[in-house]
Amino acid sequence: MDDVRNPDRELVDAVLAGRPGAFERLIREYQGLCWHIVQRMVRNPEDARELCQDTFLRVHQCLHQYRYESALKSWIGRVAYTIALRHLQHKRIPLVEPGDDHDGYALIENVSDGFDLEGACADEETARHLHAAIESLPPLQRTVLTLYYLEETSIPDIARITGLASGTIKSHLFRSRLRLRGVLEARTGVAA
Amino acid sequence: MKQPIDDGISPFDDASHEREWLIQERAMRRERLHLDAAGDDARTRRYRLLARALRQPPPDGLPADFAQRVAARVTAAPATFRFESLLMTSLAIALGVAALVVIGIYGSQWLPSFSAMLPAPRGPAGSWLLAFAGCVGASWLLGQWQRHGRR
Repeated sequence: MDDVRNPDRELVDAVLAGRPGAFERLIREYQGLCWHIVQRMVRNPEDARELCQDTFLRVHQCLHQYRYESALKSWIGRVAYTIALRHLQHKRIPLVEPGDDHDGYALIENVSDGFDLEGACADEETARHLHAAIESLPPLQRTVLTLYYLEETSIPDIARITGLASGTIKSHLFRSRLRLRGVLEARTGVAA
Repeated sequence: MKQPIDDGISPFDDASHEREWLIQERAMRRERLHLDAAGDDARTRRYRLLARALRQPPPDGLPADFAQRVAARVTAAPATFRFESLLMTSLAIALGVAALVVIGIYGSQWLPSFSAMLPAPRGPAGSWLLAFAGCVGASWLLGQWQRHGRR
């Protein structure tokens, strides 16, 4: 992060110098990431919009504390995650499900075949079922999956955003995917 | 952020879990690259279907003018802040003047008892107090200088 003219530094310098349009540019750049984190954590769209606004107000307030130790994306993601986490704690919504450690492990040795990928994709009922299963995951697992697949964030960067160890993130990804595969197999049949 | 998929994270202790993890990763990579699913087994295809679902953005995004509105709110804030700090400064000055007036009128009655309680400036406690104040002042000045340097 010592690159003197990296885009993060240019943008941060412009915002700190109060250059017109700089903060709006920063918001445009990272509002998608913020929405993906906050929406996946809290789910309620009204609350999510308000929390996204709080995130960028906090970013503006604390940007002078950013030390370029991680990418700006990770730093802003961390702010969004922390704000959403406090909201969940305030509403007493658990971040992870207690006791789901061995969820679906039996599936690992399950050898299936004959799955029609394009057919299942075209099947609206299967898609609806799968999206419902994703929504039913605990907030942390939903968020980690979204960061990994949609934002294409690496495991170390997800660890920076969530403040968890990389091994923990890997474990969450593994178990969530296994659980969702189980949902799919229950829907489409093991040997369809 | 296009990152390598395997970032050198430690493998699972259980070999079957690690095998399954690698299948999950391979399916994600193949789906990301839009590779033909013809050669994939059923397990990989299911994970690819999962990847397709997870790559769809969540519904009800932020309004189109979100960035503009939040930025406008932030730029409007300094005017309010200026008024607030002006008000606070005026009140602080009024408080200070009132305190001086009170000391001037009633100070002779209770100031001597307070000065008796304070440590003598030339005594050991007084030197430590001065050293402590010096440290606090130096740290504050250093912080201000660093912040100014960053801007």
